[in-house]
Amino acid sequence: MKTVIKTTNRRKFLLAAGLGGAGVAAAVVVKSGQPAAPAAPAGAEQPTGYRASEHILKYYKTTEV
Amino acid sequence: MAAPVAIHRALPPEEAARGDFYALLARLFHDAPDAALLATIAAADPIPAEGDAALAKAWQDLVHASSAVDVDAAHEEYEGLFIGMGKSPVSLYAGFYSGAPSIDHPRVRIQKDLAALGLARPDSVTEPEDHYAGLFDVMRVLVAGGAGRSPAALAEQRRFYDAHLLPGATRFFAAVGRAPGANYYRHVAAVGAAFTTLETESFTLD
Repeated sequence: MKTVIKTTNRRKFLLAAGLGGAGVAAAVVVKSGQPAAPAAPAGAEQPTGYRASEHILKYYKTTEV
Repeated sequence: MAAPVAIHRALPPEEAARGDFYALLARLFHDAPDAALLATIAAADPIPAEGDAALAKAWQDLVHASSAVDVDAAHEEYEGLFIGMGKSPVSLYAGFYSGAPSIDHPRVRIQKDLAALGLARPDSVTEPEDHYAGLFDVMRVLVAGGAGRSPAALAEQRRFYDAHLLPGATRFFAAVGRAPGANYYRHVAAVGAAFTTLETESFTLD
């Protein structure tokens, strides 16, 4: 029961803020016919994880504190 | 034995709106808007006045700006702000704003978190992982799912947001908003700032 109450509060907060009321951003993204981020730097749903070359991985390690 | 059936439930409207705001921010910080996108934003509905005042005003200002700016001006502004010659006036990389001594450090953590989430950059993309367009797009995927992927649990969304957006997003939007060359993007930044303020607060509510 506690979880339901928390979820409801968050949902109420977002709806009260105006999200979901008019489909503002939805209208923009859908009507424009644009994918969200045609070639965005990340976020492609690829199941195999990040693919970096070996020398890049080594470089990252050298810069990590 | 019957094959398992995947059931995709429609997102609640407020979750769909969150995903769409992330999608729009990802799109606008990935590249300048084209004519179709400007026209569509210009014709978009307002956020109800009884909603969040900052988001409603920022959105309305962006709608008005989208009807006034032309594609070439928006493109020149994007290039001038984020690309430029030599060092760009405004960095698009989260590492710049998160206080890390080297901008590469957040990238290492993002790579690990993306791998744990089963996400990765498309092969065609060469931008580092802490590019804000990429981070917003990751949030879009976590919130809305897509391509057979279900939305992530709220706790997962919050972990990624807290780790990679919360530390620097406010400073990023402020930097965009006060950049001398920001005109259209001043309004984009205001929408981003108002939206992420809501996100930060909503995550505290679970």
